[in-house]
Amino acid sequence: MQIRTVALVVVAASLLLSACATSGPKFSEMSATMAAAKPDVGRIYFYRTALIGAAVQPEVRLNGEKVGKAVPNGFFYVDRPAGNYQVVTETEVEKKLTFTLDAGQVRYVRLDISMGFWVGHVYGELIDEDKAQSEIASTRYIGAATTP
Amino acid sequence: MSKRSLGVISAVIALLLAACAPQVVQQPTQLTPGTGKSFRLTRSAEVDISTGRSTTLRANTRWELVGTVPQGEVFRTRDQVVTLRGDGVHEGYIVVSQGTLVGFYMPVERAFCPATPSQPLSIER
Repeated sequence: MQIRTVALVVVAASLLLSACATSGPKFSEMSATMAAAKPDVGRIYFYRTALIGAAVQPEVRLNGEKVGKAVPNGFFYVDRPAGNYQVVTETEVEKKLTFTLDAGQVRYVRLDISMGFWVGHVYGELIDEDKAQSEIASTRYIGAATTP
Repeated sequence: MSKRSLGVISAVIALLLAACAPQVVQQPTQLTPGTGKSFRLTRSAEVDISTGRSTTLRANTRWELVGTVPQGEVFRTRDQVVTLRGDGVHEGYIVVSQGTLVGFYMPVERAFCPATPSQPLSIER
């Protein structure tokens, strides 16, 4: 392979990696200063740890509202009133996660990726708090919190 | 047919199967709210549903009554997340009839999903 070709491959790889990089503060650094949710609402954290399929970053919709993107190594959160919630992510197919949220409750939604026919499928998984706390710690903040 | 062709066909079938998981069965049902009963699960249980995916209930989790459906009493725990997985992922509460787990109640869908098969639980009141 010619040196020029190698250089092009390296530049392309760097561009791809920089496009996937997440630059906000880590959850572990930010959690101590993060404002707690108001008592009458619950909080939903969304995070994605897997770097596999990093180029696939669908929107995350909560009850039809776009609340963020499934960015590898990233997290964001929203505060919402108690009720029923549906998380939808869409690539070549639509994937749904449904769960309830109580006032004062904290929920963790991990955004995973599985094989698809043409494009990977990103889907939400509801995760236990202990496991989520350890997984989310090294992810970085990617979006502003929204309140109801 | 060569081994390579078989490998390619197997990979394509695996991809198609992964992309087409069956939906979680949802039988509409009505929950009548209730409280005042609880139990501790003394042994873990792995419960299958018709999608072929199982849900594990951990030992030493505490379950509180939230109501009844025609299929049995509905219990919820705060000690673990319980989800039913198929084409989508749905939070579920367990439905117990005479000490046997008969299925799950999906609170968002207000639907019942039977366990296949039903499973006796080891519980302590």
